[in-house]
Amino acid sequence: MNDPDPRTLTRAREGDLGAFEDLVRQYQADVWRFAYHFTRDRSLADDVTQEAFLRAFRFLRGFRGDSKFTSWLFRIARNCAMDQIKARNVYVERVTPIAGTTTDPQARVELHAALDAVSSEHREPFMLVEVFGLSYQEAADVLGVRVGTIKSRMHRARRAMMDALAVEEEAQ
Amino acid sequence: MNHEQAERLLSARIDGERLSTRASASLEQHLETCAECRAFERGAYRLREAARFEVAPAVPDLVDQVMTAVGAEAERPRSRLRVVRPAGRRSILPRLAPVAAALVVGALIGSLVVGGPWQRPETGSALAATEVTEGVSAAAARLDAYRATFVIDERHLSPEVPQRHLTMRVWFEAPERFRLDVVDHTDYPMAATPTDLKLLVDGSTWYAAGPAPCPTATCPQRESVVRNRLPFSTAAPTPTDLVLPISTLADADRLTVLGRGTMLGRPAVRVEVPFERAEPLFPFLSIGGDWRPFFPNDRVRIWLDERNWFPLRWDVYPATGAERDAWALRFGLPDEPSLRSVFSVRALHVSLDTPDAGVFDIPATNSSQDQGARAVELGDVRRATGFEPVAPSMVGGLDRYRVVLPRDDAGGTLVAYANGLAFLNLGETRSWNGDAPFGPVGVQAEEISLTGGGVAYYEPASQDHGRRVAIHAAGTDLYLESNLPRSELLAAAAALPVQGLPMPDAWTHRRVGAATAERASLETARASVPFPIELPTALPAGFGLASVELVDAGFGTGVTLYLRDEDADAGIGTIRLHLEAASALPPATSAAQSTVEVDGVQGRFTPDRSQLEWIDGGLYRSLDAPGLALEELLAIAASIGGDGTGG
Repeated sequence: MNDPDPRTLTRAREGDLGAFEDLVRQYQADVWRFAYHFTRDRSLADDVTQEAFLRAFRFLRGFRGDSKFTSWLFRIARNCAMDQIKARNVYVERVTPIAGTTTDPQARVELHAALDAVSSEHREPFMLVEVFGLSYQEAADVLGVRVGTIKSRMHRARRAMMDALAVEEEAQ
Repeated sequence: MNHEQAERLLSARIDGERLSTRASASLEQHLETCAECRAFERGAYRLREAARFEVAPAVPDLVDQVMTAVGAEAERPRSRLRVVRPAGRRSILPRLAPVAAALVVGALIGSLVVGGPWQRPETGSALAATEVTEGVSAAAARLDAYRATFVIDERHLSPEVPQRHLTMRVWFEAPERFRLDVVDHTDYPMAATPTDLKLLVDGSTWYAAGPAPCPTATCPQRESVVRNRLPFSTAAPTPTDLVLPISTLADADRLTVLGRGTMLGRPAVRVEVPFERAEPLFPFLSIGGDWRPFFPNDRVRIWLDERNWFPLRWDVYPATGAERDAWALRFGLPDEPSLRSVFSVRALHVSLDTPDAGVFDIPATNSSQDQGARAVELGDVRRATGFEPVAPSMVGGLDRYRVVLPRDDAGGTLVAYANGLAFLNLGETRSWNGDAPFGPVGVQAEEISLTGGGVAYYEPASQDHGRRVAIHAAGTDLYLESNLPRSELLAAAAALPVQGLPMPDAWTHRRVGAATAERASLETARASVPFPIELPTALPAGFGLASVELVDAGFGTGVTLYLRDEDADAGIGTIRLHLEAASALPPATSAAQSTVEVDGVQGRFTPDRSQLEWIDGGLYRSLDAPGLALEELLAIAASIGGDGTGG
């Protein structure tokens, strides 16, 4: 995921609301999808997205640039999502089907089954890397773990999901 | 290379991670001969395909919604600071702007918090903070009797006791009978003294009992009794904010209306204040027992019955930020998400029924403290004091309630007025020869021109006392102390049959160590010093200039400005700004002092005095306030002279 134009970021940090709106426009879909994957609830995802941008606005002056802006933003979104989940005590371990997707229904069912098969510890890096295209370093920044941990969790997530889907082919 | 190693490398390569040349070569070699790993690679790409299709749910366009909330946030004061109103005129705009902002932010944040099954979603319909403040204040005078039962849930007392459950019962009968019982129902995992508390007030007698806070399993019981108590004594207080949060919600500037909903089946409005403002809603913390700590900026969200303004539920939500995190670490608190209540008080039952006879009976005790207030009939005052006090039958709409002769007031009298929860004390003496106003008001109080003529000197309320006014008149000196709003207190002062005079010279000229200080108007001060006197334009909400002093320590005349909250001091205290011509900072006086940049020049910060000092353009400036942090002092310093008008 690309970071914003540094000039936009600088203006937003100085309190330019127009620049901040550019950031919201650029990243709101990604933040919402990320929140949705955490919460599995459209309304909660809306709330998390709003709260995440509100917190980002509040703390933007404190963003030191020692990680990518997108990693920082996702970390905030993740914290908001965790707060929401804890506050509502609705941690979703079972993945519910998503209404309105255009994917092949069979593939969707398979993916849900696969996601069910992995713990949130493995699902989180999988989502960040596979769905949102973050690098291992960025995912490590978001989740507050080491790059090696991401590497190992990605492998375990894939292995567990493939076992669940039985997608591995017969050894040739 | 085994399968496990190969799959790990494959997984990383699929994700675009660079492999070393050697690892890459080994992997290729392994793949050539390992069908299982080739299957893993194909399977991983199929998963990717499925996962990336998976993210197809329609994403709502939230830009407008987010920016509305962000715009509102941008209008809110940073920290506790806000642009100060123009001198001498209180604009309604700074009061209303944060309310509008709060409604948007409140509606947003409010929607995230889960309530009980009785709670309806809030609508965020407009209700101004001033309406809440005025509503609570007006309700105070109408209340004759009250009783209620609450449950208290507390989190994180200690790692061993993550959750506590208590009940609290409250009884009140106007004007000064009150009882509070707390019963601890916690099932402690170890030997512990339950936090069972009792507080009773019956006019002139005050009683409190509970375990002393202690780190051991068996804590000693403490019992305090005050007899011959002064009416509405703040030294032996009645925690009536539990009945109506008059002190907590006195200041509309520090109150955020979050929205409306239903609580206990009643239409209710939810407001938010920082914990430091809401302490009167937690009187049990200081009666005894062990309680969890709270951070001054933790948010207290209060549901108020919209018909009679009784508090029905209040929750403490942790503040956010590095300062709070460091504080929590010091207290050994676990991670506390900002959207989860850590302390909750919920009403189960509230009624206006008169408490049963005997509820306010004070238990027999051996020892007691004597406040020395001797109750007398009004007709007997002349015989005891030699004068008849100014004592109308009604002041500020309140009825005369008690007349006492305080032990230590230079032959003075104290007449108490009350109605419901509202009170006003009127003290008087005819023989005052002190060097400051009679009563508790200090010489730096704000001078007020009363309607109908005359002047009075005003001080805002604090956690320890009500709003106060001193009046110096020909042949008599008076003071008033009350929980009435500022405007009503000043109206009551103006209605007294005396004409207030300016403070005499003996009070306005004083010695401070080797220096002399003289109270002056801002105009006089400006004409007396060779440098411009510029006021800060960013001050905490509600703050304004209270008084000015010319100070001379033998190095030329300096000026001290005293800035205060107009309504109620929420722990910031008086902000002092001292200006004096100088070319270098005074010698260091504290080991804790550090160098800071103040508005582009090098200055000095003394944390134990919350004092900032710097020199700019040949002018020494010292800014201090007991309750402000460095960041807040710097913001005030940077705003000095900002509007160019100098106040």
